[in-house]
Amino acid sequence: MFNRLKNHSRIARLIVLTPVAFLGGCADRPFWLFHPHGPVAGAEFHYLIADVIVLSAILLPVTALLIWVLRRYRAAARAPHDPRWTHSTRLEIVVWGIPLLTVGVLAYLSYQGVFAVNPYGPRVLARAAAPERAAAQVSAEPGAGLEVDVITTDWQWLFVYPSLHIASANELVVPTHVPIHFRLTSATVTNDFFIPQLVGQIYVMPGMRTEQSMIADRPGAYHGIDAEFSGPGFSWMDFKVRALPRAKFEAWVRRAEHSNRRLSFRTFARFARPTVNLAGTITRFSKVQPGLFAHVVAQAKAGKAYPTPYAFTEDMHEAKFLRHAD
Amino acid sequence: MLVHLPPPWNPIFGRLGLILHYRYNNPMIFFAFELVFVGAAILLFWLTCTRRWHTLWRDWLTTVDHKKIGVMYIVIGLVMLFRGFFDALMIRTQQAMAVGPTAVSFLGAAHGYLPPFHLDQVFTAHGTIMILLAVTPILVGLMNLIVPLQIGARDMAYPYLNAVGLWLTATAAALVMIALFIGDFSHAGWVGLTPLTELAYSPGPGVDYWIWAVQIGGLGTTLGAVNLLATIIKMRAPGMTWPRLPIFTWTSVATNIIALTSFPVLTAAVGMLALDRYVGTHFFTAGLGGDLMMYTNLFWTWGHPEVYFLVLPAFGMISEIIPTFSEKPLFGYTTMVLASMAIAGVSWSVWLHHFFTMGASPGVNTYFSIATMLVGIPTGVKVFNWLFTMYRGKLHFETPMLWAVGAIFLLISGGMTGMMLAVPAINYIVHNSVFVVAHFHNMILVIVYATFGAVTFWFPKVFGFKLDGRYGRRFFWSFTAGSLLVFVPMYLLGLMGMTRRLDYIAHPAWYPLLLIQVVGIGIYILSVIYFLGMLAVSINRRETRRVGADAWGSARSLEWATRSPVPFYNFAVTPVVHARDEWAWRRERGLTDLRPERYVDIHLPRNTVVPLVIGAFSLVFGFAMVWRIWWMAACGLVGVIAAVIIRSFARDTDYVVPAEEVRRLEEAAARAPRPDTATAAAGATLPPHAQPSVRS
Repeated sequence: MFNRLKNHSRIARLIVLTPVAFLGGCADRPFWLFHPHGPVAGAEFHYLIADVIVLSAILLPVTALLIWVLRRYRAAARAPHDPRWTHSTRLEIVVWGIPLLTVGVLAYLSYQGVFAVNPYGPRVLARAAAPERAAAQVSAEPGAGLEVDVITTDWQWLFVYPSLHIASANELVVPTHVPIHFRLTSATVTNDFFIPQLVGQIYVMPGMRTEQSMIADRPGAYHGIDAEFSGPGFSWMDFKVRALPRAKFEAWVRRAEHSNRRLSFRTFARFARPTVNLAGTITRFSKVQPGLFAHVVAQAKAGKAYPTPYAFTEDMHEAKFLRHAD
Repeated sequence: MLVHLPPPWNPIFGRLGLILHYRYNNPMIFFAFELVFVGAAILLFWLTCTRRWHTLWRDWLTTVDHKKIGVMYIVIGLVMLFRGFFDALMIRTQQAMAVGPTAVSFLGAAHGYLPPFHLDQVFTAHGTIMILLAVTPILVGLMNLIVPLQIGARDMAYPYLNAVGLWLTATAAALVMIALFIGDFSHAGWVGLTPLTELAYSPGPGVDYWIWAVQIGGLGTTLGAVNLLATIIKMRAPGMTWPRLPIFTWTSVATNIIALTSFPVLTAAVGMLALDRYVGTHFFTAGLGGDLMMYTNLFWTWGHPEVYFLVLPAFGMISEIIPTFSEKPLFGYTTMVLASMAIAGVSWSVWLHHFFTMGASPGVNTYFSIATMLVGIPTGVKVFNWLFTMYRGKLHFETPMLWAVGAIFLLISGGMTGMMLAVPAINYIVHNSVFVVAHFHNMILVIVYATFGAVTFWFPKVFGFKLDGRYGRRFFWSFTAGSLLVFVPMYLLGLMGMTRRLDYIAHPAWYPLLLIQVVGIGIYILSVIYFLGMLAVSINRRETRRVGADAWGSARSLEWATRSPVPFYNFAVTPVVHARDEWAWRRERGLTDLRPERYVDIHLPRNTVVPLVIGAFSLVFGFAMVWRIWWMAACGLVGVIAAVIIRSFARDTDYVVPAEEVRRLEEAAARAPRPDTATAAAGATLPPHAQPSVRS
């Protein structure tokens, strides 16, 4: 009997501790949204907290009141029963007034937030141009930053640095403290650009251009995600993000400039063929043909598509998935 | 052929040659096949052995009785709910198995056991089924059942149209089930993301299955909305003025205005998508002048009102259940009606919040953000009104009440997260994440809870006996435990940054919570077993569970003022309504005797086979269009049109039940032994909640 109990407790301990081990072993901060490392994601997190506080101030007392009513007026409690009480103008005013007031506060908060993190020019970035950031500018002009063109294919990310004539597939490398301006488009279907710890989501649509801006406050490795379902290879379509101090970033740029992979309009068409990036392959390109972004937009507008083969991923043990097509 | 399609295609079999390319050796498909076909075979065998074919044909398949149509809607909904649950089971287990690059890999999957080809179909089917073919039919069914009874009508305004709507819904469900075995289903999500649904990115028949299921099912729902509105406007019993309308009927008015005005938008949007795929137009393609975001706008112009189409009847149900089990009228009736109408009104101006991240200008996002929050006001009012209904009430926690109270708690948490998502700055970091998925499941659970409550609440009215309370409570608690274990971790995962529709989980930190979700879904399985147990036990012991007109002893509205089960003519004589809560009014005055002073002839619609024929031909049409078998599609369409024309010449569409026959039926029913007939009469003084429930 005692042995059996002991066995049970051992199993119970195993069950309880396994998840904890996973939490400890794999990521020190699993709640990415609670640990923003840039002013845009930081502002978004700030609005999340403010919103939750306002709502809790209303909803927690209501929940408490509900629980109290459920207990107090259960039939067995023999509380006063008043079946005639069905209307009270004063209460009606209160029950319309409380939600109205809450919505008023939240609406103002929301209005502020929309402009603070507007993808086409977030106010928080303007505010974030603090002295230590200005000191680290890549460009001499304060306020200017690094331009990155984001092009999605089925199912890869291509980050083109038009001013540096380099590109990187499935890995975004950015200098810290520098405003990064993204222009985004897709060669195929709609995707959604998202780096939880740095910047919120923006759609990446074929034949269209969207924009996004961010600053990475701290050097480090982050996770970039495609948030919008885009077909069979979608689940493997995430990208690595590395924020590097200026010197390291420049070293990375030099390495990329020496890559023997070139990217022209023609080689882009090969790159954009349906590819499931199972292995998480990262490729760097040098000598990127100028105007690639505009070319991709124009092609999509002209009806260019990169069709998905029929029943493409019915069997992923096939050889075509085991090698990486450019 | 106007569009370029990959071969094969031939004039006789269309694209059916494609099925040779599928790998049918997947054990999952085999298992589904077994479940569906062995289940169907057992059902057919049972029908034959017990000689029920004739009854089935006469009483169900050809009926135009709104109660039976309502029951069939609910049965279709429950069957599809079960199918959708299986899909959920697969999504949850796949995600828990596909964590990290070293995850197990079999059945052709790179990680886990479902490759994207299958998983994408599974989550698309899960969404399409749960919204359009499970929750919608169950709600439409309940409205069908209860609304005519609540307003004292003999049947719906258009009984034949009602049956057409049912069989079109059944056709849509059948198409989705056929897609499981013949070909594939759409992979592009239940919203049909463009341009993913265009031919270039979805060359198979899957999206076509989705298109025709949505089109045919949507048509059924639109017809149902016309019918319910006409019924409520024109068929109310004498004295049933608008201010006396039961609250569930009021929410039905609001919800069907939504359905009638929003479903055509869906039909148009999906119709244009169909033109893209069949005729080669460029409405929603990425290039050549197409506008893919226009589809997203149109879809959600329907999609968001659809959400309120679902939630408003649920609010109505909660508003019926709570007063009954609080022994108190609804607090703030007028406010409740206004709130319902306000929700219906605002529902058209919020659709863009489904894609704040599209990159619209700050002004646009601010407008839709504030419009969305406005919905919170009438919803908040409803919560307060339910609270004040229970305040100074006498609460009896029978199963329907448990579901209703559970729904309020869910509404509070879902409302909280909804108000978070309404703020674009927050939406940018949780859009398309499982936080959103958890939020809308939370809201749909409000509907599911209200619906289970309503089914338990009105079951005795329709069938004449109560569902077993012990199993009902087990069902409730296991379902609640399952919901918490699935959706609380899902909220947390959303805050961790996990996005939706993943076939592969790259981050092992998400694993423990995914595992907890699997435990939750396991408890859901338990709740399904309790649900089936509840049905089995209740049906087995139905003779000891019979109830009188007022099954709960404290019911309030007009539907309780007729026998249980409701006779096919609903009321022996058309009732005259005196008050808002008519049955409560009569009970307080001791007027609970159902025998009228004199009987009159009753005029009723006659059964017809035409709706079933229309359904069958539309199934032929839908299937043929999916596989592009043009001759067969033409036959199906001609069949539908011919059936409609032939029916329009039918003269013998109704009959009269003579007064003497009504008297005979009523008196026979009154003589039948009922364990608690007495309680119904004495309900005013001694509600049956106070007594131990009947258990054998």
